[in-house]
Amino acid sequence: MQLTPDETTVFTLWGLGINETVVNTWVVMAALTVASMLVTRKLRPDVPPNRWRTTLEVIVTGIQRQVEEISPHSSRHVLYFSGTLFLFIALSNLLLVVPGFSPPTASLSTTAALALSVLIAVPLFGISRQGIGGYLKTYIQPSIVMLPFNIISEFSRGISLAIRLYGNVMSGAVIAGILLGLAPFFFPVVMDVLGLLTGLIQAYIFAILATVYISSATAVINKPGQDLDSAREHHKEQDR
Amino acid sequence: MSIDWVTVLAQIANFLVLVWLLKRFLYKPILKGIDSREAEIAERMGEAARAQQKAAVAEADFVAQRQQLQADQAALTERVHEEAKQQRDALLAEAREKLAQERQDTQAHLARERERFTTELYKASAETLYQLAGRALHDLADERLEEHIARHVVSRLAPLSDELAAAADNAEEAVVTTHAPLPEGARQEVKAALQARLPGLTVRFATDDDQSPGLVLRIGSIQLDWTVDTYTDELVGLLEERLTSGVSGRVNDHGG
Repeated sequence: MQLTPDETTVFTLWGLGINETVVNTWVVMAALTVASMLVTRKLRPDVPPNRWRTTLEVIVTGIQRQVEEISPHSSRHVLYFSGTLFLFIALSNLLLVVPGFSPPTASLSTTAALALSVLIAVPLFGISRQGIGGYLKTYIQPSIVMLPFNIISEFSRGISLAIRLYGNVMSGAVIAGILLGLAPFFFPVVMDVLGLLTGLIQAYIFAILATVYISSATAVINKPGQDLDSAREHHKEQDR
Repeated sequence: MSIDWVTVLAQIANFLVLVWLLKRFLYKPILKGIDSREAEIAERMGEAARAQQKAAVAEADFVAQRQQLQADQAALTERVHEEAKQQRDALLAEAREKLAQERQDTQAHLARERERFTTELYKASAETLYQLAGRALHDLADERLEEHIARHVVSRLAPLSDELAAAADNAEEAVVTTHAPLPEGARQEVKAALQARLPGLTVRFATDDDQSPGLVLRIGSIQLDWTVDTYTDELVGLLEERLTSGVSGRVNDHGG
């Protein structure tokens, strides 16, 4: 039984084998990008939003609200990062129902890549906000004795993120495959439905945890008196 | 279960590209649209607030103008009422004055009518009295009243000879006027009597319908009247006395 799509090479490019994980990732990327382009290509403020634009607005504002609840003073770059994590993982997991499609998130390489991205992004966001000195000081808080524990904690976060996502998605696919062999008519459908649910939950958990880590890395510089609206205005100015 | 590090690197690159793509084609357009819509809504709400404020000012202005108009209208109504009252009083005064004037005119007209009627009544009474007296005299004594008056005048001329001579002075004509033509005999008697006292005097006889029955003699600057006017005046006095007291009417009513 094949547990990961990494083992399936779809085609070879310049002597480099392109496996199913990468190809399916491109499919997911293309689907997200094309859908976004189609909806936002004729975006004008004087035209009332149609249902597709409204759907995207609901999704984006929902992600933004979740990010702001966790980290009220975070920049929009956190939204871009965490939102992309959520959308990518969610769509990948939802495509589990497509026959013959192996979700990229069922690959430990993909989940490890996403976890590494989070591991790299957290210090980058922290350094961009606090400076390199301010960020490194967080590793010796509350005392220098905690330095090794803080380092272990950082790496264990990434590992737990990767394993959790991979385990859930892969296990769902494996269980569906096993049940398909045992009872091909009823249980696979139920498991696929459960797979969709757990896939969305995993996407939400992964994105939320990434946001929490980034928020903890950038929380020191936040001013207590700054409210959410002023933070939003600040982010709008940054984006302009 | 193993990790393909080449795939890991490729997936990291894919993820970073996806972040850029979604930022470029999803987050920025959507958030920009939401921000511009929020800004537009805020602007419209600001405009609505300004319009509401303007409307409130206009409403206050309107209310003030309406109150001013109502006050002006009340003042105008009061003034119009006052003017109407004054005009009514003036018209009433004028009407009263006209009424009084018309009443005076009517009373004057009535007085004139009464005077005219009284005059005509006097005249008719005199004529009636004269005719009755003449008829009674003719029926009872077989004489005519004119002739009797003429004889009476002739008899009364005798004591007046000196006054007639002085009054006649150089008068050449005497005019004898009667209401009805005198009989020829009476004329001759009067003419003879006058010419006997005033020789050379021409006597002319004339009639005057407006004159009371009797005889009027004019010589130079004097005039001698023998008419029924005196009797008529007495008759009018008696009638007026009876009419004023009303005794005669009641007596006549009860006594027939």
